[in-house]
Amino acid sequence: MAKKVTIASDWLAGCAGCHMSLLDMDERLVELLGAVSLHATPITDLKHPPPEGVDVGIIEGAVANSATERVVRQMRQRCRVLVAMGDCAVFGGVPTMRNAGGCQAALRRAYIESESTVGGRIPDDPELAAMAQVRPIDAVVDVDVYLPGCPPPADAIYYVLKELVEGRTPQLAGKLLDWH
Amino acid sequence: MSEAVVKITIDGRPVTARPGQTVMQAAAAIGINIPGLCNHPHLKPEGACRLCLVEIEKQRNLQPACTFPVAEGLVVRTETPRIVESRRFALQMLFSERSHYCMVCPVSGDSQSSDCELQRLAYRYGLTHWPYAPDYEKAWEIDASRKYFVMHHSRCILCRRCVRACNQIAANHTLGVKQRGARTMICADDDVPFGQSTCISCGTCLQVCPTGALVDRRSAFLGHERDFTRTRAVCMGCAVGCGIQAFTRDNQLVRVEGDWASANEGLLCAAGRFEVVEPRPPRILKPLVRQDWRLVETSWDKALSHIAARFRGAQAVAGLATPRLVTESLAALACFFEEALTSHEVALLYGDAPPSELGRPAALADLRAADCIAVIGGDPLKDQKVVGYLVRRARDAGAKVIVVDDAETGLDKCADVHLELEDISYPSESPFERLRHTYHLRAGGLATLKSALTAAQHPVVLYGSGLSTTVCASLRAMPPKVRFMPLVVGTNTLGARRLGLQTRPVMGDAVYVLMGDDLPNGTPPPHRQFTVIQAAYRSSWTESADVVLPAQTWAERRGHILNVEGRSVAVTPLLEAPPGVPADWETLLQLSMRMGYELSMDAISGMSQVV
Repeated sequence: MAKKVTIASDWLAGCAGCHMSLLDMDERLVELLGAVSLHATPITDLKHPPPEGVDVGIIEGAVANSATERVVRQMRQRCRVLVAMGDCAVFGGVPTMRNAGGCQAALRRAYIESESTVGGRIPDDPELAAMAQVRPIDAVVDVDVYLPGCPPPADAIYYVLKELVEGRTPQLAGKLLDWH
Repeated sequence: MSEAVVKITIDGRPVTARPGQTVMQAAAAIGINIPGLCNHPHLKPEGACRLCLVEIEKQRNLQPACTFPVAEGLVVRTETPRIVESRRFALQMLFSERSHYCMVCPVSGDSQSSDCELQRLAYRYGLTHWPYAPDYEKAWEIDASRKYFVMHHSRCILCRRCVRACNQIAANHTLGVKQRGARTMICADDDVPFGQSTCISCGTCLQVCPTGALVDRRSAFLGHERDFTRTRAVCMGCAVGCGIQAFTRDNQLVRVEGDWASANEGLLCAAGRFEVVEPRPPRILKPLVRQDWRLVETSWDKALSHIAARFRGAQAVAGLATPRLVTESLAALACFFEEALTSHEVALLYGDAPPSELGRPAALADLRAADCIAVIGGDPLKDQKVVGYLVRRARDAGAKVIVVDDAETGLDKCADVHLELEDISYPSESPFERLRHTYHLRAGGLATLKSALTAAQHPVVLYGSGLSTTVCASLRAMPPKVRFMPLVVGTNTLGARRLGLQTRPVMGDAVYVLMGDDLPNGTPPPHRQFTVIQAAYRSSWTESADVVLPAQTWAERRGHILNVEGRSVAVTPLLEAPPGVPADWETLLQLSMRMGYELSMDAISGMSQVV
């Protein structure tokens, strides 16, 4: 039996919708699992890509703080091909809306001014990640494959994985190229 | 006469073009789609976006197809690898300029549904990401100071279509650009918020914007254009009768755009484009009859029998109708009054139509070609806005504008000559006297007017009502090249006048008011001892009526109107009337049967045909 392609995925600042879209492949997931071995994902027990590395690393979400930056750097070190999945990873996406008002304004809105909050307080534990400007992941690491979409259609995710499993570079076009 | 032609080759295909055409136009004529973001078929080319670059033999660099004129023997290639690379680069630069986050934009869609020309090109040229990162910190201004549409500068690509539309189509000269280079921004007047500027909210800029930079508040996020049904229809807002493209979804009117193929060439006013989709009062769906001081829902049969009984008992029944109706509805009302009630007390609620036989009628196209326009006793920028915009456009193209009025008009600022009209009516306290004002232009003024109109090649006279006999006679005596357009107030007032209906007081102890989808806007109701109001929406008038009958709206009617050009314009429905709300003529037919008289359809259609 041919060696399975190893895959790890993780998510940064995003909504997990791209991973939902990945699950939307339905029975094609079973087909892919014949050629693919999933190592670490946010929706399985193992959370971090193995130190010995994987073939394909998939990142959803934007870089928004020191923790997400560390996650994407580690993924880059531990994978051969890095896929930016979804508009947040590719363009920055919805989280970039915070850039316009600034981190402090966003924190105030969330922890103090929100309608359901009484006597709120902005968390200030020194162990918390330091917030930063929201950027797409290619502002931090090199990206090999861009898979835009909010979320990318399941067909596009399937196409990209299928092409990578078969050793080709995916070329998104037509219905599969959808930033929407 | 044989027309000069230029033979060129595009993508290996021989093309016969006309001299003066651009490469873009010649290619479009044979179905080759050269992309362009700043180019728009109804605007002068700008050559700003660099998306239409093509290869032309014997030219050193790639050339913009939208500005490059055709010349004999030109060999053009529109989609080579070099061109594709340059277009991808241009798109990447556009995306690096501002924050084009498609996921929060109403015009964004997939390759099938996207309403954004920029996004569609990104798909066409396979852009999966933005290699040149935009400034992630920069916050671009959102100008929401206008009532009907919003400007998101973040999505603006500075194609200047809006600026050109404002200058070339609406001739309003509000929009321009400030700063230069990467700091260039679209701005209004002396850089004031749009809502405080000279903007007239005609929405032409919104209609031509290629991205989501200009967004219609009401229809944003209600769907993509492919989700809507697009119907060519006629605006019933005023007597111009502009062609519109109505976007409907689930029998709701969602958005209105100007029809490029109609005489108004895409141009509309704020009322025609935006006010028609504003919320309306609750719709009247069932007849209402006053019982014990309250209006109570009842059946058509009971309501009509009740009206018939009261009308039979009345000394005289008066009829009033809005001019915002098709000729067929007005004819049915006139027929009902004269045949079934044998009464001539039927008139219009409002509206004003000057005499329409002063000379050859002018079409909207004549205004565009005019080199001298006289506006006598009317204010088209108030009552026939698109006509006013076209006058200003003709002025921009070099036409002489003569304004003849006794008061200030919107066109004063662009007038070359002002002539004073004198009000020579007898002063009276009666409110109806207002309708009988007479305006006179003295002999000196008439001579100036005549010499200007005679000197011009394509003179057009726009005139309001109430002109003195001398002025009318002098206008009739103008040279035959002069064309005339009556400044009619009220949508179908001209059609109504052909039927003999005009605005005048009517007598009677009972009244039937056909107000359609009009709203009283503060006018007191025409109350009598027994008042029937047929209306589409609840208003102060219906609340004080004795019987209220449902009526169809402008969007549900079929028929004709007679517009300012003297042209019979076919009105087609773009929405289905709610169940149980019949056409106006059908209600009147039923009512006349209960009055013991059968109104004949032949009589109604015969009358309509007169118009």
